[in-house]
Amino acid sequence: MKLIKILLPLLLLMPMASDAQCRAFTKNQCLPQLDGYVQNDNYNSAVLVPGDDAELLLTFYGGKEYRLVVCAHPILGSVDYEITDTNGDSIYRGNTASGNSFDFKMVNTQQLIVKLHVPDQKSAVSNHEGCVSVLVGHKDAN
Amino acid sequence: MHRNNAYGFLSLILGFSLMLASCGDTTEKTTQPPVQAKLDSADMARTKELEKIFFSLPSPTEMTTLIKAKGFQFDPSKLVATANVDKYTGETRQAVMLGVYGADLSYASVFDQKQMSMEYFAAAQKLARQMDADGVITSELIERMEKNQENRDSMLNIISEAYADMNDHLKEKDRIEVSAMVITGGWLEALYLSTQYGADGNAELRQRIAEQKYSLNNLMNYLEKFGDSPALKELKTDLTSLHDAYNSVSENKGKTSANKDASGKMVIGSTTTLAIDDATLAKITTLAKDLRTKYTSL
Repeated sequence: MKLIKILLPLLLLMPMASDAQCRAFTKNQCLPQLDGYVQNDNYNSAVLVPGDDAELLLTFYGGKEYRLVVCAHPILGSVDYEITDTNGDSIYRGNTASGNSFDFKMVNTQQLIVKLHVPDQKSAVSNHEGCVSVLVGHKDAN
Repeated sequence: MHRNNAYGFLSLILGFSLMLASCGDTTEKTTQPPVQAKLDSADMARTKELEKIFFSLPSPTEMTTLIKAKGFQFDPSKLVATANVDKYTGETRQAVMLGVYGADLSYASVFDQKQMSMEYFAAAQKLARQMDADGVITSELIERMEKNQENRDSMLNIISEAYADMNDHLKEKDRIEVSAMVITGGWLEALYLSTQYGADGNAELRQRIAEQKYSLNNLMNYLEKFGDSPALKELKTDLTSLHDAYNSVSENKGKTSANKDASGKMVIGSTTTLAIDDATLAKITTLAKDLRTKYTSL
């Protein structure tokens, strides 16, 4: 009973801490992967749960090289991501288990969509929440 | 003794919450269709919440880098004076100005203006403090800036990191609208700076100004997600005039190509083209200046 009295309030406080932890995770685990690129002014990070889908519309300028990093906390397992054009045609598909960054050059300026999907965890007793960040870095193309 | 009481009280709250939740479960099991409706509405709310979080525009640095790359000179007269930073009041004005100072800071840093970069950083920090949004600008960050003054790319990364931290911090504090205003201010100032140079007839800069049609559409759609928020209403109205002008930038939709080059890197191209005529460029230049004047004048 004593243990429950101590643990329950802590569980109550956990969700409040997760947003700040997400920023710390992004800065410590994800941001270093943009080494050599100038990062964008936005982390695009959120606490996601299995089954969540998210989309991000981004403009990429012609004549630039970009690195897109999709960084997910390991507790979520492998997070799927896909890059499409605005017509929905797929350009690149990946998941964070096999590689969480995508380097590319843009010939001319266009908008691309980054789609994220956190798969359901079939084996897990309960769903976990974890941080997912989409980071973009740029540099002038050689 | 007080601590024990606090734990007991919180446990009681949790217990009551669990009781309510379990009551909800019972109701849901007996009335299937409303459950589905409830789930759908929860899913929709979740989707809407994520749409507000996952939003990004190209940073002002990307615009100002092009200005320097095209051989233009640094012109401090194009910047907003830092001396007036204390005089901006009201959340919308301050948030927009925080974005404006950020873009000016990027511009000064891209042109390796070390002293001026520090001045603009200090101004942005001061404004962030007035808005209670400076929690992430730590002494460690300022120290890193001072140490890396000679390295332009490091400076640009530190500035971007500071703004990304601040945007994230605002979102954490349920001030996502304020974050949207900061981003809007930064975009507006970068557009203003580009149009000031674009008037000189540089083809690439002119093209980059036309391409802001994408960013503005994206921004307008994003601001719409906040509904009739009073804080964003004026900003949305102001941007509408610019949006109307951008409707004259014609887009010829084409196809996307993605191929690997000799080094194995993916190269993404498109046959889509954007065209801007002189009259539209002049109109956008005037509107960007007017809007910028509205928010920066005292």
